Amino acid sequence: MTTPEKPERLPALRVTGLKKRYGANTILDDVSLDVPAGQVVTLVGPSGCGKSTFLRCLTWLDPPDEGFVEVEGRPFGREVGEFGSVRLQSSREVDRMRPRLGLVFQQLNLWPHWSVRANVEAPLRIVLGRSLEEARGRADDLFARLRIGDLADAFPTQLSGGQRQRVAIARALAMNPAVMLFDEPTSALDPELVGEVLGAIKELALTGMTTLVVTHEIGFARSVADRLLFMDGGRIVLDGPPGAVIDDPAHPRARAFFDKVLSRRSFISAKPMTGEQA
Amino acid sequence: MTLDPAVVLDSWPLFVAGTVVTLQVSAIAFVGGILLASAIVALSFSGGWIRVAIQVYLGVLRGVPFIVLLFLVHFGMPFAGIRMPAYFNGTLALTLYASAYYSEVLRATVLGLPRGQWESARAIGMSRSAATRHIIAPQMLRPALPPTVNSTITMIKESSVMSAITVGELTYQGLVVQGNTFAPFEVFIAVAGLYWLIAFVLSRVAVAVERAVATGQGASARRNAIGERYLALDARAG
Repeated sequence: MTTPEKPERLPALRVTGLKKRYGANTILDDVSLDVPAGQVVTLVGPSGCGKSTFLRCLTWLDPPDEGFVEVEGRPFGREVGEFGSVRLQSSREVDRMRPRLGLVFQQLNLWPHWSVRANVEAPLRIVLGRSLEEARGRADDLFARLRIGDLADAFPTQLSGGQRQRVAIARALAMNPAVMLFDEPTSALDPELVGEVLGAIKELALTGMTTLVVTHEIGFARSVADRLLFMDGGRIVLDGPPGAVIDDPAHPRARAFFDKVLSRRSFISAKPMTGEQA
Repeated sequence: MTLDPAVVLDSWPLFVAGTVVTLQVSAIAFVGGILLASAIVALSFSGGWIRVAIQVYLGVLRGVPFIVLLFLVHFGMPFAGIRMPAYFNGTLALTLYASAYYSEVLRATVLGLPRGQWESARAIGMSRSAATRHIIAPQMLRPALPPTVNSTITMIKESSVMSAITVGELTYQGLVVQGNTFAPFEVFIAVAGLYWLIAFVLSRVAVAVERAVATGQGASARRNAIGERYLALDARAG
């Protein structure tokens, strides 16, 4: 399961004491997490437990009130200055670090006015300042790898859900991120597409890419992930190998959650008709 | 009574001159108004006193009748030591007035785009200005076009108020001809017809542009989308 990490190597992602409040509600309550390079982590939890907010804080789309994010040992968003004072990074500094985190949104948010090729190449040109040849080469490599080469000149609205997902992955991967982040990649999908999309993420995970997936797909967590985190009330309450956590959750809320999710899944597979309602 | 078209036809140079001036001041107010409105909308997403200042600016301009704004500029500015011709003052007032209405249009258009478009651009590392230029602005054209045309037609008709400060636009020339001929019916039917013609041509052009944008998978838009927009960038990091 978990590969033993070399002690001298910095974690790909380190989160320390992340806190986020909206008014009187505490959404994230002191979340800390180390993800070693190459690890595949799934984050599960009931709706409203803070898992999507966690990704938004991590990527600084919603800056957390407190806490630190480090990507490969480099501070992102907030850092401790020379004399121990905490300093917010400038938007320039934040922008420079952002490509290191490859976020795939739940709604994907491909840019509809650009072709698939432009969706992948333009950020390379605009953000990383790559030459046209470099960008093209990188995009073609990714198109081949994700098997979407024949779609390069299509527009996002012309693609199926699964194809779009692959384009979104290609767009994020092109920036050569240290960590790939997926926000509920399957919950907006037609049930028929779930397998295809999870397959694409699995392929990615098998290449050794450090990956954090927010998902409800317990089967995916069990078969692909090295590690499962269960979040409840803005805290990570369980953290361990997926099999052990799912089969014997040492937390009452988690036990109830897994019972419900697992029974619902068997219900769906017993009655294929429900798949067509989405 | 009978209508005598000769009254109008004899004075055609004045009608042409008035139409030209109306088109001129409207074109200037359109370009200036859109530019001002773009800046206003971009700034309105920042916080603090800038946002308050913009709210005051828009509130004042939308709460004041155009003729009052025109009088403020034309009769007020000389007291501040700024003495400019009526043509200049009228165009300035119209530009300010238009900027308030275009601001509303552009702001509503931006807010109408899915928030994820901005967020995915920012999350991948684009700066605010890069995300605005490459992701938001190109997607605004289609939804912004119809309300922009509407506001522009209103603005063109509003420019007739400049006759009150002797700017030689269409309505003013109509008044002149009417004063010479004492044939108000003929004259103002002609004036009305010319305003209608301007609005008609404008809305036709808009429909054509809209169609070209809407069938955006067509030749030029496709070329644009596939490459030229970002190929033309000066590639540099940051």
